[in-house]
Amino acid sequence: MKKYDELEYLKLSKWKKFVYRFLSFFASIPLKIWNGIKGIGRFFAKIGIGIANECKDIGHTFVKGDWKTKTSYLVMGFGNLTRGQILRGLMFLLFEIVFIVYMVIPHGGIYWLSMLPSLGKISPSGNGAYDPVLDTYVKLEGDNSFKILLYGVLTIFFIVAFIYTWRANVKQNKIAEEILRTGKPLKSGKDDLRSLVDDNFHKTLLALPTLGIVVFTVMPIVFMILVAFTNYNKLANGVDNELFHWVGMRNFKQMLTWSGSGGTSYVATFGEILLWTLIWAFFATFTNYFLGIMVAMMINKKGIKFKKLWRTVLIMTIAIPQFISLLYVSKMFDKNGIINGLLINLKLINPSQAIDFWNDTAHSGLLARVMVIVVNIWIGIPYLMLIATGILMNIPADLYESAKIDGASGIKQFTKITLPYMLFITGPYLLTSFTGNMNNFNVIYLLTGGRPTNGAASTGEASVGHTDLLITWLFKLANNKGEYYLASVVGILVFIVVAVISLVVYGLLPSVKNEEDFQ
Amino acid sequence: MASVKLTKVKKVYDNKVVAVHDFDLDIQDKEFVVFVGPSGCGKSTTLRMVAGLEEISDGTVEIDGVVVNDLQPKDRNIAMVFQNYALYPHMTVYDNIAFSLRLQKMPEDLIYEKVTNAAEILGITPYLMRKPRALSGGQRQRVAIGRAMVRESKVFLMDEPLSNLDAKLRNEMRAEIIKLRQKLNTTFIYVTHDQTEAMTLADRIVIMKDGYIMQVGTPTECFDMPANLFVAEFIGAPKMNIMKTNLIKENGKYYVTPFGSKIEVTGEKGEELKKRNVEPKEILLGVRPEHITLAKPGEGITTRLEVNEMMGSELHLHVYTEDETRLIVRVPTINLTADQRTNMVFGTPLNITFEGKVMHFFDPETEKNLLLD
Amino acid sequence: MKKTDSAAVQPVMKKHMGIKAANRISNTILYVILILMSIIWLIPFVCIVVQSFRVYPTGMSRYLFSHPDISFRWGFDNYINLWKSNFPKWYLNTFIIALFVAVVQTVIVLCMSYTLSRFRFKLRAPMMKFMLILGMFPGMLTMIILYQVLKDLGLALENAVPGLMLVYVASSGMGYYVSKGFFDTIPKSLDEAARVDGATRAQVLFKIILPLAKPIVIYTILTAFMAPWGDFVFAKYIVGVNPSAYNVAVGLQDWLSTSANVSENYTKFCAGGVVVAIPVTILFICLQRYYVEGVTGGAVKG
Repeated sequence: MKKYDELEYLKLSKWKKFVYRFLSFFASIPLKIWNGIKGIGRFFAKIGIGIANECKDIGHTFVKGDWKTKTSYLVMGFGNLTRGQILRGLMFLLFEIVFIVYMVIPHGGIYWLSMLPSLGKISPSGNGAYDPVLDTYVKLEGDNSFKILLYGVLTIFFIVAFIYTWRANVKQNKIAEEILRTGKPLKSGKDDLRSLVDDNFHKTLLALPTLGIVVFTVMPIVFMILVAFTNYNKLANGVDNELFHWVGMRNFKQMLTWSGSGGTSYVATFGEILLWTLIWAFFATFTNYFLGIMVAMMINKKGIKFKKLWRTVLIMTIAIPQFISLLYVSKMFDKNGIINGLLINLKLINPSQAIDFWNDTAHSGLLARVMVIVVNIWIGIPYLMLIATGILMNIPADLYESAKIDGASGIKQFTKITLPYMLFITGPYLLTSFTGNMNNFNVIYLLTGGRPTNGAASTGEASVGHTDLLITWLFKLANNKGEYYLASVVGILVFIVVAVISLVVYGLLPSVKNEEDFQ
Repeated sequence: MASVKLTKVKKVYDNKVVAVHDFDLDIQDKEFVVFVGPSGCGKSTTLRMVAGLEEISDGTVEIDGVVVNDLQPKDRNIAMVFQNYALYPHMTVYDNIAFSLRLQKMPEDLIYEKVTNAAEILGITPYLMRKPRALSGGQRQRVAIGRAMVRESKVFLMDEPLSNLDAKLRNEMRAEIIKLRQKLNTTFIYVTHDQTEAMTLADRIVIMKDGYIMQVGTPTECFDMPANLFVAEFIGAPKMNIMKTNLIKENGKYYVTPFGSKIEVTGEKGEELKKRNVEPKEILLGVRPEHITLAKPGEGITTRLEVNEMMGSELHLHVYTEDETRLIVRVPTINLTADQRTNMVFGTPLNITFEGKVMHFFDPETEKNLLLD
Repeated sequence: MKKTDSAAVQPVMKKHMGIKAANRISNTILYVILILMSIIWLIPFVCIVVQSFRVYPTGMSRYLFSHPDISFRWGFDNYINLWKSNFPKWYLNTFIIALFVAVVQTVIVLCMSYTLSRFRFKLRAPMMKFMLILGMFPGMLTMIILYQVLKDLGLALENAVPGLMLVYVASSGMGYYVSKGFFDTIPKSLDEAARVDGATRAQVLFKIILPLAKPIVIYTILTAFMAPWGDFVFAKYIVGVNPSAYNVAVGLQDWLSTSANVSENYTKFCAGGVVVAIPVTILFICLQRYYVEGVTGGAVKG
């Protein structure tokens, strides 16, 4: 593709400019992804260099340090204790003791780590081992793959935390020595406690939220990523049925190649669902967005009365828990629902012709697909109306005044001022709402449950529907079928899709880069 | 009441931008020091380092002989007035002023006494029960000052306190600050980008540019003997005229030859040149607009008028010479007849000249004042 | 447009009248659209209320309250049945969860967002990036393991209520965006002034920032309180088939989950929906102002 410089570009006709920008956006996608990958590379390189520097510093500290510092390498907190920082010293020492005890006790850290490569040897459902002395099968207590994996991950996290703390302990010694050399006093335990509400207040504030995120999000995600490389499912659940074990890339191969069992393959199903997920997310996001803006502009128009009333009607629908409205609307459009009843009463259709909105499989369930988008508009417009109203009011009035003087019509004002302004401000929102819609479980699951059933895709994989998103499919795989390993493969793939989209779009957003501008 | 000493203070931001380079300054007890410079020169950063709001990358800050680098702002015994006043919007004026005293756990009756006292001095007693949003800009400014006043701290810091006010109020408040200073009798550090404020308020001015100190001196020193071209142009309004010309020496006397004319350097400047035995060479000559006078036709430097700004008591004449150098001439209105004034339009030929004792000489390469080092 | 008496602008004057007429027509069209919209948006809720008073559940939902085959009657039967069913238990469960989440989640979110807005520490940017990436994983993925862990801890199935509380609250630190955006709009010089005035960082938070952050605190409480009323998937997965531990969403969905259930429970479901919606809606309408502020602010700040 030919590249234009700025002045050449300005000379192009309007249509050519558009084509040029369109093409150059798509041409830049590979580069963006490549940059993203490079960024990941740089990230790891940085970590590598960081670790190397740390190691160097640890060595230096040891060589230069006095005997207190040197002892601290083995007995954490020793330096602090001998230099009078009792509180810090005790904390370090306590942590080290807890760590060592946890590692060496039976069924402690070392045990879990040693079991991690095999994920257990003795099946919980097996007959047990043959004992030649007793001449009988002895039922042994089975291993628990799930626990092994879970505590294995936990132990690794604990070890990382320990190394980090140990490093902090070494650094403390170095700093303490430096401070003592300049003849100043060290911080006492009282100072430390006081700094928790002042200098180090952020640590106090972040302790609880971070702990929650690490335990309830980070660790489960690490665990589930690992599950994608095992055969963990309902049958091999590692607790009371079979043990599960590592299978390497098998699951990804199974998901992403054409060779499937029984003539079907996951990749076809996956592709179909992914396509629909993207279509859905696109329509769900942009129909809401533009219609929401339009509704907001209608209500905001000068001369329209009862503005508050119109707004309140819409806002009320936000207040009502979504599952109620979704379930109810789902039943309204049921074959036996009010809508059909109405159509019959009006003699528009015969009772036998009642429209089965959610189960009509014609054209890959086109009717149901359109319906979920329409219902989603009904759900989403109030939010967008609120957001758009807020932003519309913030558009400086003199922009419009100067446009009017320049001779812009109402439509031109909308396309040249309102829309660009909205897009600029709401860019990040559009991105998150797109990815949010990709994972919009509630609307799909409560409205259709994924129906109408997709016969072709469902062979062997029961209950895949035309309106299923990746996320509802994931849920079904886990909840209905207990195919946990497949669910986590799907989860990882969803992550990759979302990450790629975000990476490509993120750079386009002008308002993202200037986070500090608001301060 | 304390001295402030900055030694090799440096500020480097995370993105490796150096905002302040080795800043050395010794502020005496009860001195009023003004940091002045264009935006981005590091003056506010330096002040904020003294306040403890910005980490000090290198060097030390001492207040009353104590190194305060590692102290929290609250432990430095300072008071500060912010550019946007930073009044707590949810508190009344009274509570705003009392805030710091309450944090010190001072008894309420003492607080009452101090707050009303400060309010009295600043003339904001009628507004004590109002919220800041119900006050005008000037009143808010007074509250901010009051809040700093009651702390009775060792050092009083002000970060562009007048720049959000309109011109008239600014002049009023400037006078107020001078009065306040006499009452408080403490050490002041004041940051501004306005050279007039700096000149009128300061005992000593610190002129900064790009993180470097350009000159430290009393207002008179900075005005009479600017250390370099930057200070020369920064102090004084309209700014000093700079001409590229030659310094020549004939019969032991120095002359400059701007635009074909030849003017002898006389007075102190001439003596100083002789004493230093400055080499004749190409120099940058600086003359303040108020030191240029109109000459008779045919004398001095021939120029043409470009813009005539009537300021009331004086005229600012923007003229250009034959080689298109722009100069500004400040002429008191009283020196001209009404006819003369109205006849001065675009293109009018004007002859100008200046005396030998009002010149400033700068090295074209180092931009330093030739008569200083 | 200003009035002028010049002849030259006469045609403009005529057009001026035209604009007025056109305005009237377009306004009329807009009113029609707005009225239609309001009807469309309200109809489901009107229907649900009407059907909740319909006595006969059978025949499901083709009719609102009258049916050619059945003589029409209405009454409070559905609400009485509701009272006799598991519904009060579900309602209580949800209410307890919502209350707990509203308090704890607000505290966590405020801690997180205030810190990220005000402190510049070494790990700040990496943390925010990390949470952004973390957010790209479907949250549902974690459900599988959390269920197992909660089950081991005895906090799933019949004891799901405390388990759900824990799950809802635990990761709420990741939802810091909206309130961080709000904190970012409070001038930093207020913090600085307070610190110069002798406040510790904690005092700055409690004496200066929190009083100013009332709108966002209320917004956070409101959204935190409302979320558990609508959560379906986590609750369903963790509760399994233990009606005593259901929340309202799982319970009501269960009533409609199979077609056999539908004809039996349909009108009861409507009554349940009304009972759930009323308090939440009232709360919401009262605090609408804060909600609007939060939502618009959140979208602007991303």
